[in-house]
Amino acid sequence: MDNVILIAVLVLILGAALAYIIKAKRRGVKCIGCPAGGQCSGAKGGSSCGGCSCNCGCGHSE
Amino acid sequence: MRIAFAGNPNSGKTSMYNALTGRNEKVGNWAGVTVDKKESPIRKSMYKGTEKLVAVDLPGAYSMSPFTSEEGVTSEYVRKEKPDVIINIVDATNLSRSLFFTTQLMELGIPVVVALNKSDINEKKKTNIDVSALSKRLGCPVIKTVSTSASDEGLREVVHAAVSVAGSVQKAPYTQGTRVLRDKAEAEEADRRRYAFVNGIVAQVETRAALTRDRNSQDKVDAVLTNVWFGIPVFAVVMFLVFQISQTWVGPVVADALVGGLESFQEWVRGFFETANPLLTALLVDGVIGGVIAVIGFLPLVMVMYFLIALLEDCGYLARATVVLDPMFKKVGLSGKSVIPFVMSIGCAVPGVMASRTIHNERERRAATMLAPFMPCGAKIPVISLFAGAFFSEHRGIISAAMYFSGIMLIFLGALLINKITGNSAKHSYFIMEIPEYKLPSLSRAFATMCSRGWAYIVKAATIILICNTVVQIMQSFDWSFRVAESADTSILASIAGPFAYLLVPVVGVLSWQLAAAAITGFIAKENVVGTLAVCFVGLDNLIDTEELALMEGAGTEVASAFAITKAAALAYLMFNLFSPPCFAAIGAMSAEMKSAKWLWAGLGLQLGVGYTVGFFVFQIGTIGMTGGVGAGFVPGGLAVAAFAAILSFLIMRTKKRLAAERAGKELRNG
Amino acid sequence: MTLADAKPGVEYRVKEIVTGDEELNEFLFTLGCYSGEPITVISRLRSGCIVSIKDGRYNIDKELAAAIKI
Repeated sequence: MDNVILIAVLVLILGAALAYIIKAKRRGVKCIGCPAGGQCSGAKGGSSCGGCSCNCGCGHSE
Repeated sequence: MRIAFAGNPNSGKTSMYNALTGRNEKVGNWAGVTVDKKESPIRKSMYKGTEKLVAVDLPGAYSMSPFTSEEGVTSEYVRKEKPDVIINIVDATNLSRSLFFTTQLMELGIPVVVALNKSDINEKKKTNIDVSALSKRLGCPVIKTVSTSASDEGLREVVHAAVSVAGSVQKAPYTQGTRVLRDKAEAEEADRRRYAFVNGIVAQVETRAALTRDRNSQDKVDAVLTNVWFGIPVFAVVMFLVFQISQTWVGPVVADALVGGLESFQEWVRGFFETANPLLTALLVDGVIGGVIAVIGFLPLVMVMYFLIALLEDCGYLARATVVLDPMFKKVGLSGKSVIPFVMSIGCAVPGVMASRTIHNERERRAATMLAPFMPCGAKIPVISLFAGAFFSEHRGIISAAMYFSGIMLIFLGALLINKITGNSAKHSYFIMEIPEYKLPSLSRAFATMCSRGWAYIVKAATIILICNTVVQIMQSFDWSFRVAESADTSILASIAGPFAYLLVPVVGVLSWQLAAAAITGFIAKENVVGTLAVCFVGLDNLIDTEELALMEGAGTEVASAFAITKAAALAYLMFNLFSPPCFAAIGAMSAEMKSAKWLWAGLGLQLGVGYTVGFFVFQIGTIGMTGGVGAGFVPGGLAVAAFAAILSFLIMRTKKRLAAERAGKELRNG
Repeated sequence: MTLADAKPGVEYRVKEIVTGDEELNEFLFTLGCYSGEPITVISRLRSGCIVSIKDGRYNIDKELAAAIKI
């Protein structure tokens, strides 16, 4: 019985954490928890601007 | 409807954006905090109408012809994306300069509303601006605002004015004329006329009691803070106090209470599942809960530190710090402007690296990008606090401050090396930076910043760190045939981290796969170092070596069997983690800013080499100091460091040769 | 003379700016620092000086100060 509760608790915690990460990534957040959230272009990595028209200084506009 | 916020740097655009949208974007009392545009809907409380309003915060610009790339963001956006309304935030304390940009904005035809910001400072200085006359001369609404005060009525008025002018076509009070400007002289002539026009307006609407060029009480303060002799000691004391308060005086008191509570919760859970499967219990209690507690335990220290840094940013001291540090940075080929990326990196290396965009010179910008991660970031605070508190509890404030000063020292040395390698021939690099007015820092805003950073820290600990800890716990419980490992030493984790542990022997003196694993997980997020250590050593207490000297005597095989490490090794391991390459997010930011794979790899190589070299020397010298003999792994570690030095000197020599060849070539041509 | 030799607290007029950097010149222009405009050195520092141009305060280094002829 204890084992069942234990597994349920583990699944719940890990599931919640994973769900949060996946949801955040879907929203375009690069660093989980960062207040700048998805608006920070700094962690986009590489020059992977993806052809956006953001002029975010990633060298796409020039 | 989109409303763009445009204005000179440090005119308070982001403050107004935050006040209107309820967001908490980074603001600071210096020019160049915002380097990218940001969008968010405007709060309902600011506007009663039904239309959906979206605010767009743009980096500051002095004119429509950009000087730095973040200024370019602004003029590009306004020209191409055509927002419905522009709120032009004008620094009321410097009307004549601000209106130059205003008149350029108004030529675009997009309706403009002028927000005369910082009007509170003007009142204090008894500067009067005739708002209705200014509005008439410009041909657009002008509203006095104080964007740092949320209760300010002006903010609502600005939004309403913006909505009411939307859709109209802005008439420009001054037009350059349709004549195509053929050359530079003509362009300058046109700009001169524009300035003359602006000066004419200012003379009519503004009356001043105190002239800016007069010396005031702020200059007296500046005379001390930026003094030839006192400037740097004052900066050192200020930084030391930040760490002393956060790491020794306030932080630990709160942290102890917090950890006490969390640990009793952990024990309660352990008791609750006493009869359950021991493996699963360990996964929950030691892996999930223990790992997170170890990281969360440092939350108070981190929050206090963010609070203090927010106060410093707000009051205008940091701009003075750049003035103090500029001559020193210049000696190693960096401009005082690079102080901004370095200071921002104290919070997080990602915005720090991004802030290097404000540096005009490309080589300097790349150097700053490469060096900014040497400044220990917020995620490294728990790592520092752990080692400083556990191994040097009486001097934790000093050790913490020392880590930051080592970071600064490494930035200097790194810049020197980069200079030598790239062969920078001390080209003229001019430096100009606006000096903002001092102001009383806002406690409520520092508090808000602290809470938002604290919350971010909790979220990170409860998601990424938690998952990593769980994976680490699972990997150290099983072996490759997915059976329960007899001991952790035969586990999957031990076999993966094992090879790296050999590399770390010259730094920590023992062959410990746990320390290697922690350093590796640190690349996902630096807090993981703490979490992984807590999981691998089942609580952090087991990391600390209580009988270090007794163990050190037999430096070699006996030590290898013990997990625990000595003070010298602790410091060395800490510094290795701080000064080796940053987390993946920051590496991504470096790559984005460098725009060159060659520079990125050079940067990572430099960081790894520096981190390893520092760790090696700290451990070996510390060990010699404590025991009189060299530490374990002296010869192989020494060889690795020598190889790093050899590569560097090879690169430097090559550059020297190239420069000499270039000089000779020049002389040949000239002769 | 150049701004590097200017007396603090005395208002001068900019005669010429020789930085050899077009963009920097334009940038200084947008700050209101161009020939014919007043400029005042507020105080001297080791690295350069603090100047007042229009109603703003700026820190400039020695090299730039020497490039501004008054």
